[in-house]
Amino acid sequence: MRNLIYLFTRFGATILFVVLEIISFYLIVNYNNSQREIWIHSANIFTGAVNKKSQDFNDYLRLKKKNDSLMIENARLLEKVINYRIVSRADLFQNLEETDSLSRYALIPARVCNQTIHLRNNYLTLCSGSASGLRAGMGVITENGIVGIVAQCSRHYAKVIMILHSQSRISVALKSSGFHGNLLWKGGSHARLNLEAIPKHAEISIGDTIVTSGYSISFPSELPVGVVRDFRIPSGSNSYNIEVQIFNDLQNIEFVYVVDFLDRNEKERMDLNE
Amino acid sequence: MNRFATRNIVRFLVYAFVQVVLFKRISIGFEETYYIHFYIYPIIILLLPFKTPRSLVIFLGFVLGLLIDVFYDSPGVHAATCVLTAYLRDYILLLLKPTEGYKAEGVPVIEQMGIVWCASYFAIAMIAHLLVYYSIEAFSFVYLDEIILKTLLSFLASFFIVIITQLLVNPKY
Repeated sequence: MRNLIYLFTRFGATILFVVLEIISFYLIVNYNNSQREIWIHSANIFTGAVNKKSQDFNDYLRLKKKNDSLMIENARLLEKVINYRIVSRADLFQNLEETDSLSRYALIPARVCNQTIHLRNNYLTLCSGSASGLRAGMGVITENGIVGIVAQCSRHYAKVIMILHSQSRISVALKSSGFHGNLLWKGGSHARLNLEAIPKHAEISIGDTIVTSGYSISFPSELPVGVVRDFRIPSGSNSYNIEVQIFNDLQNIEFVYVVDFLDRNEKERMDLNE
Repeated sequence: MNRFATRNIVRFLVYAFVQVVLFKRISIGFEETYYIHFYIYPIIILLLPFKTPRSLVIFLGFVLGLLIDVFYDSPGVHAATCVLTAYLRDYILLLLKPTEGYKAEGVPVIEQMGIVWCASYFAIAMIAHLLVYYSIEAFSFVYLDEIILKTLLSFLASFFIVIITQLLVNPKY
């Protein structure tokens, strides 16, 4: 009891303050409409924030599944674009020859497992293999351009020789004039490659777009690769030495598409016969 | 002590009356929102003698706040604010304490404490009062910029009125 009295004499003002504030806030929340609404609303804001957090976490857990489905969707769309482009090119013959199918290329989405980038010979490992339909010799692309060519395939993994490899030679062409040459990497920046064997009578200017030629079975034609950054003719040479700025950022690739040329066997047989 | 009691009761009634009859009707604003309100009633709490028991100050603050609330149709808002201002009064006095301390029968008026001391005392208390008032009114810190704008503008207006009144009336206690 004495302690209680002591408490009141010592902290009476504060206790009174707290009690009166509580009464005031009780009045505020109970009799003022706007504050009551805000009170309820604030509670909602809080619960809403909690809900959103848990939803975010849930989404994060489902991210892989979602990503995969998006990849498949993307692959299908890109596939369509590529095939339409080729069909529209071949439109001239359409009247004479009825194509039984529009699709000549299929895209297989794949995830990058491992990658080297700082070496002279760079490889990419994909988390998909022959079980997903990958074969050696298939081209690997992203939405922004080409990445490399599949070199080896195990059941669940595939090894890709990137264009950043000393042995890599990709057949590309100038979009404007159609002259074609080989794209290769001489080391240095990951964004700059060299284009060789464009004859010196070709007209060329800085900023010209480079696309794939479609001569190999690895890549469909007209895939954008990069732009001309600089060019010169070495003395005594018959061809340009062109520096190409590629569109792809090869340092961060996470998802790629592997190009499956559906008429592969047919074309290979033809090439061998020659 | 009796003269203090009479004087403060009269002051309480007069200021509260002026507040709810005159200043309640005046608000200056821009477009749709009224930013400037005149709140002179906290002066009632501020002008209580130094030695008023703290609990009494808080209780008077509560009564004053409720009275204002009845006229402003906002049960609890002014009460909560006044109680807080009354609670803070001691701390503000402690902050502004002159080196020789407060006189036993002293009253915080210009006649006794000088205009500079009074102005800073009123200013601190009224800024706190208005800031708390607008915060409770909005009941959410989402509208922080609006709260601060209202507080500053209303403070300047109310403070001007309070100082003018004090200089004109110039109470001795």
